[in-house]
Amino acid sequence: MRVAQLSWSDAAGWADAPGDRTNANLVFFFGTRQALACGARYQELRAMFPAAHILGCSTGGQISNDDVTDDEIAAAAICFDATRLRVACEPASSPEGSRACGGAIGRALAAPDLAGIFVLSDGLNVNGSELVAGITGAVGKWVSVTGGLAGDGADFRETLVGADCAPRKHVVAAVGFYGPAIRIGHGNAGGWDEFGPRRQITRSRGNVLFEFDREPALDLYERYLGEDEARGLPGSGLLFPLRIFDPERPDHDIVRTILAVDHQARSMTFAGDVPEGWTAQLMRGNFDRLAVGAATAARQAADSGGENRSGDQVAILVSCIGRRLLMGQHTADEIEAARAEFGPRIAQLGFYSYGEISPHRVSGVCELHNQTMTVTTIAEAAG
Amino acid sequence: MHKLLARQLAKAVKGPGDVDLQALLALVSEAYEQSDNDRHRTDRSISLMINELEQLNRGLDQLVQERTTALRERESELQAQNLRFDAALKNMPYGLCMFDRNERLIVCNERYSEMYGLTPDQTKRGVTLRSILEARVAAGHSPEDANSYIEQRLAEVRGCEPYYAENGMRDGRTFAVNHRPMADGGWVAIHQDITAQKRAESQITYMARHDDLTGLANRAVLLEKMDEALVRLRRQGSRFTIFMLDLDLFKTVNDSLGHPVGDQLLKVVADRLSACTRAIDTVARLGGDEFAILATADDDQRQAAIATANRLLEAVAAPYDVEGHQLNIGTSIGIALAPQHGADVDQLVKNADLALYKAKSEGRDAYRFFEDALGVAASTRRAHQIELRNALTSDEFELHYHPIVDIGTRETASIEALIRWRHPERGMIAPVDFIPLAEETGLINPIGDWVLRKACGDAARWPSHIKVSVNLSAVQFRKVCPIDNFCKALKDSGLPPERLELEITETVLLQGNAENVETLHKLRLMGISIVLDDFGTGYSSLSYLRMFPFDKIKIDRSFVHELAKNADCAAIVSAVAGLGRSLRIGTVAEGVETEDQLLLVHAAGCTHVQGFLFGRPCPAAGLKFERFAAHKQKAKVA
Repeated sequence: MRVAQLSWSDAAGWADAPGDRTNANLVFFFGTRQALACGARYQELRAMFPAAHILGCSTGGQISNDDVTDDEIAAAAICFDATRLRVACEPASSPEGSRACGGAIGRALAAPDLAGIFVLSDGLNVNGSELVAGITGAVGKWVSVTGGLAGDGADFRETLVGADCAPRKHVVAAVGFYGPAIRIGHGNAGGWDEFGPRRQITRSRGNVLFEFDREPALDLYERYLGEDEARGLPGSGLLFPLRIFDPERPDHDIVRTILAVDHQARSMTFAGDVPEGWTAQLMRGNFDRLAVGAATAARQAADSGGENRSGDQVAILVSCIGRRLLMGQHTADEIEAARAEFGPRIAQLGFYSYGEISPHRVSGVCELHNQTMTVTTIAEAAG
Repeated sequence: MHKLLARQLAKAVKGPGDVDLQALLALVSEAYEQSDNDRHRTDRSISLMINELEQLNRGLDQLVQERTTALRERESELQAQNLRFDAALKNMPYGLCMFDRNERLIVCNERYSEMYGLTPDQTKRGVTLRSILEARVAAGHSPEDANSYIEQRLAEVRGCEPYYAENGMRDGRTFAVNHRPMADGGWVAIHQDITAQKRAESQITYMARHDDLTGLANRAVLLEKMDEALVRLRRQGSRFTIFMLDLDLFKTVNDSLGHPVGDQLLKVVADRLSACTRAIDTVARLGGDEFAILATADDDQRQAAIATANRLLEAVAAPYDVEGHQLNIGTSIGIALAPQHGADVDQLVKNADLALYKAKSEGRDAYRFFEDALGVAASTRRAHQIELRNALTSDEFELHYHPIVDIGTRETASIEALIRWRHPERGMIAPVDFIPLAEETGLINPIGDWVLRKACGDAARWPSHIKVSVNLSAVQFRKVCPIDNFCKALKDSGLPPERLELEITETVLLQGNAENVETLHKLRLMGISIVLDDFGTGYSSLSYLRMFPFDKIKIDRSFVHELAKNADCAAIVSAVAGLGRSLRIGTVAEGVETEDQLLLVHAAGCTHVQGFLFGRPCPAAGLKFERFAAHKQKAKVA
């Protein structure tokens, strides 16, 4: 397998980084909504890689090796030697239809030698938990499903996704990896610190949370954010991610990130389900520990990447926009921390997302995560 | 250099030696701002968190406090409930014990320990049932067969079924055990001392079968024993004899000395009767002064019965000393031999009764065996009784009248009403042939009433100076209020009371008591005359004349018949007439059939005469109210 990284900027256009990009059969590209919306970048890539599957999405910031940028498009062209690929693309018409959408994707990709799926999903019009459940329901829960929800900076207005077409809104795209040669590793970690009392989710519906301990959830967030930052909701809500767990399975905790708020209903919409009766606890971030979390995810991915890898490898980092909003200029700390785990020889590519998809570190079941750093490594075994 | 500054510098460098200071400063400023924001956010959230935690803490404190209070309340409630439970256990009249599935004691009350003489050590929680049973046995609180008792009780509890048992203790007490298994494999048992209850039950059974006063068997037991004897008779040929006894003169003792003395006397009699019989015989009191004996027969049944009867007569006749009173009574005995005199209980009892009736009617203080003739007589009597009852409704009675004449004026002073029964088959029946039966059966009362009403009704149509004389049986005095009948008869007929005479015999005074005398006084006050009939035939005690101011005395016909031949009779008639004169009481000579007799009684001083000389009794229609001739010819004697 060979990997070549590319970048695009308004000033310089496409620039090649070192690497062999001939015969690439898979291209990932990530950029701001504004940079991708016109579709020109996809067309340029299509021209460059006529035989490749090209998947891309809008983001909350692009990761390229150890840098985080807003003004450049980050891309990588991958040439597999022995791995077959199949791409699926489905419209994400509504959050309620997410499980059905996931099911359709899963069915399109399902095959006996399916080894892994990488998903790029619309970031706002989707219930990520349901989507992943739909996919795993169709392909079986032991096929690794990784990826993330597209982002729109801190605007939460519109996200774009495309597979072999120009990225557009309300789309879910995925690529399946087939055959015995593919080596996919994955890691997922947060690094957030729980703080404050544990609260009970006393009223919710799907991914819409109404009340903690019979108090409107939005009241609590506004109180913690303070008047100034509360104006930045829903984006500023990401500064206080929510850790939730079933009281009967406290070790199976999940972190949820906010997607929207309804000031009228005093409710908050999260990227995944927030079941009634579950326990919730606010989290807050510390730059150093978030960076440690990113390193942990990278190490898990490196460790689970499989035997007998040869050739180039690529690590796709999907990190939550919330982490970036909190860390500001320190965001690069976590990218560097992850890269330190891999070393400079592995191409590092990724984006800041509205949700991360990866197997749960305890149960192994693929789920939607929030506020985490998710790392997927892709390599092929020596022929 | 700080890695962030290095990063900022790297971003601000445009080319070698070309640093965009403006951009660098913007980055640095932004970093400061971010840092400030982060610090403020952190401060704020920590402060909020502290507040929340404090609030939560206060809430928890309050919750702990509330829970503690609630817990204390529950504890004290539990304690109170335990106290109540203890009190209930302690004060319940039964012994209670509860065991777990391993046969170990959970709890028992004091009553349980008391009942079985168990010490506190022996009834500690956790003690096994076997230990407790052994302790009970050691303390003597178990049935006689202690070992089998322990094993049996253990087997019972292991049966896991509810049961009820009554155990007789060695000391005579009886304990009832009510055992109920519980769902957890244990059980609860209620132990009750039912000794008193058991005794009461036996007492009730005894009382149901024995006479309360004498302790003898009662009628039910006698009949039961007779049934058993009849079974033995059929199976083994064992004969037996029934004696029915009725004390003579007991009523007199009871009436004159009161029931307490009567009761004491009955007890002594009962003892004496028992002493005359064997243990295998049954002596029963049937009620009042009636007794019965069932005796198994010896070889010569009749002789043995005679011997027993004589022993009984002698024993009862022996003098009594009851509460200072020297008493003498006798008994009449009727004897029926089984199987000779009956094959079932009813027949034997009836026949012994008939024999008793015969003994009594033949002079008392004697025994009689049942004879077939008695049965026939009894049947006849029963038939007559039915006929007599029908006679009243069929209007078969009639009154015949016999005048009583004033010896001086030879005019009819009063007319005696005499009842006759015109039997459809047997013809005219005289009173002597049916009045005793009427008296025995109580029919005398309706018959007497009929006579009274009829006589008053007839007399009301007679000349107003002539009285009507009606005989009154002693039995009629036993009625609750004979006076009402008189009032009603007089009122209905319109006959003035002064025209009514009542003839009574001295039996009324003999049986009687103050009540009879009082009734006579009341009748006399109403204006009715009272006549003493048949004077001279009975005890003829002059004291009767003193007891009541009779208006007339009727001298019995037997004296008049013998008047001419027997000087004693003449003397008696003369004496009675003289006595009447002295007491200013009229004297009637009955049975005057000849002029000679008339002259003699006249000479003796009698004021009135009655007899065939002045005609035979005839129906009202045949009465002639004429003056009888002084020189009337000797009448024909019918």
